[in-house]
Amino acid sequence: MKMAGRNAALLFFLAPAFILIALFYLVPLAITVYVSFTDMQNWSLYTLRLLPNPLFNYARLFHMMLYDPDFVKVVYTTIVFTLVTLAFNVLGGLGLAIAVYLMEERLSGFFRGLWLLPRMTPVAVYALLWYYFFLGSRDGTLNAILMALGVIDKPVQWGTDPRLLPWSAWAIIIYVNVLVGVSFGMLIFYSALRSIPWEQVIAARVDGASTLQLVRHILIPSIRWHIMFVTVWQLLSLLTTYAHIFLLVEWGVVDRWWSSTWALYVFTTAFGLGGGGPSSTYQGLAAAAAVILALVGAGLGLLALRLLGFRRMIVPPKGEL
Amino acid sequence: MVEVRLESVSKRFGRVVALHEVTLTFEDGSFTAILGPSGSGKTTLLYLIAGIYKPSSGRIYFGDRDVTNMPPNKRNVGLVFQNYALYPHMTVYDNIAFPLRLKKLPRDEIDRRVREVAKLLHIEELLERYPSQLSGGQQQRVAMARALVKQPDVLLLDEPLSNLDALLRIKIRAELKRLQKDLGITTIYVTHDQSEALALADRIVVIDRGRIQQVGTPDEVYARPRNLFVAGFIGSPPANLIPAKIVARSGSACVAIGDTVYCPDKPLSEKLARFQEVIVAFRPEHATLGEEPAENMVSIEAEVYTVETLGKENIVTLLVGATPVKVVVEPSVRPQPGSKLFINVEPEKLMFFDPETELNIEYIEV
Repeated sequence: MKMAGRNAALLFFLAPAFILIALFYLVPLAITVYVSFTDMQNWSLYTLRLLPNPLFNYARLFHMMLYDPDFVKVVYTTIVFTLVTLAFNVLGGLGLAIAVYLMEERLSGFFRGLWLLPRMTPVAVYALLWYYFFLGSRDGTLNAILMALGVIDKPVQWGTDPRLLPWSAWAIIIYVNVLVGVSFGMLIFYSALRSIPWEQVIAARVDGASTLQLVRHILIPSIRWHIMFVTVWQLLSLLTTYAHIFLLVEWGVVDRWWSSTWALYVFTTAFGLGGGGPSSTYQGLAAAAAVILALVGAGLGLLALRLLGFRRMIVPPKGEL
Repeated sequence: MVEVRLESVSKRFGRVVALHEVTLTFEDGSFTAILGPSGSGKTTLLYLIAGIYKPSSGRIYFGDRDVTNMPPNKRNVGLVFQNYALYPHMTVYDNIAFPLRLKKLPRDEIDRRVREVAKLLHIEELLERYPSQLSGGQQQRVAMARALVKQPDVLLLDEPLSNLDALLRIKIRAELKRLQKDLGITTIYVTHDQSEALALADRIVVIDRGRIQQVGTPDEVYARPRNLFVAGFIGSPPANLIPAKIVARSGSACVAIGDTVYCPDKPLSEKLARFQEVIVAFRPEHATLGEEPAENMVSIEAEVYTVETLGKENIVTLLVGATPVKVVVEPSVRPQPGSKLFINVEPEKLMFFDPETELNIEYIEV
């Protein structure tokens, strides 16, 4: 009787969360896996049937990785974009957090607010801002500034000029993402720094530490768990982010393939690209790519949790259950 | 080792004046306690000496060196915090070695000095542990070791014993006093606990609301408090304070405490003649209780309110009019609440304070 009551209570409290997870995560996951075994195209339900070889899409992706020059660009772009943006987001966030931590309170509040602006701006507005900034015509902000200064005498196609690729396209998408992403690390690290007992910082000063020594020997070691957490979190979210890049690619300000990460490739393959993009969409192929991305993400996530010592962080609740 | 000198040092936080015009000298090798209630400015004073705060005005000297604008890492002071502030991510060894590593001393010298100071404080067997694995008393010793290892000119202690249990506190107190005498480091010890200050220090600085109230040896602040604050703060329980009137008797000034009239001798009565009212003070341990007024004593009639039994002594609270008065008596003395008794005090043990300025009239020049 008692156990039955307990189970009923458990069910009652867990059901809402479980229904949401099932509806918006487990069911779509199952559908995606199924679609990846089909040759679905152009959202036609007629094409939604299992392929003779269900793993054909996967085999095709691996073949593309070796022989399709455009897809090779996607793979390179994904690796470079994820790792470089990650490094900037974590190290930049750490640097910003330490800088505002060491600042006077009023100044610190101002700078923290400033760095949060990109995150508070709607994605489309933010992307539009940088679209105009890097625009290849003489109306582009960067071109206009450099021409006014006399550095260049005719507009540069920053994101698409073959002579600048892939570096310029990579620089643009990384820059645009870092400006948004860096504030996440800054917020987490700043609040972690603030929770270090004030006396420890003073003690280090009295012990003879310069600001650099304080940062190196006290501040950073004190927040090393936060640094690992932000690294993992950012790694996983960078693997799957595409919103900002999608708009820049869609509007043609950067080269399509040298700016497409794996996640964006999944999106454009399934939903197509406006303007000069291909007219056909391939849901089966996109689903297979999405499954691979999910597997890579899950693998990295599990590995990270092991490295972080997730079990050590989950402390059994105190008091009676 | 060095003399520490403050010259009219003030510290303001916005509009709040934390310290007002403090001029003090801490002699080379002395042990000084800064004693005051919470919020009195005593920790602010310590942090000014450490260099954590900069004074709003005034100068601070270590010997001949003007350190007023010198950051803490250049001052060579050792500081022990109330909560010890050990670095949780370092072992005890690394905590103690930290100040030496910052100075980039050779590895073998660091090792030698860490082990030396660990031996001095009896923590040699704890060197490999982390702070979270230590008891409060052990953490306190590690914090002391970290402060001492760099051979500071000045040792600053901010309520270092207040997080320890009562027994351990008394044990470490004695060790601390011995250690300071052996090392001869100029030591400044902040505390709100007057028994610690009286027990440890060569000299006590009593501070309240940002102002120095009295500077003196433990005997001086106990026997001759400069004002009502010091009289009411020092001693356990502190001095009794009873308002009284000045009356004229055969041409000289006398003190009327309730129905009791006490006529002091010449120099004192002349001083008293300038007042209409005074506050009479005496220490609970300087009075006795009797059924009758005692000869050659000032006897005040009072009603017993309650008796606290402490084992080695009892504290009797009585009411003189509406004023509560405490008297420390032998454990065998347990008067009935409600009974009438006489509080007998030797005249020499009485102190008189001006209610306006709160000054002990002993300190007022005629």
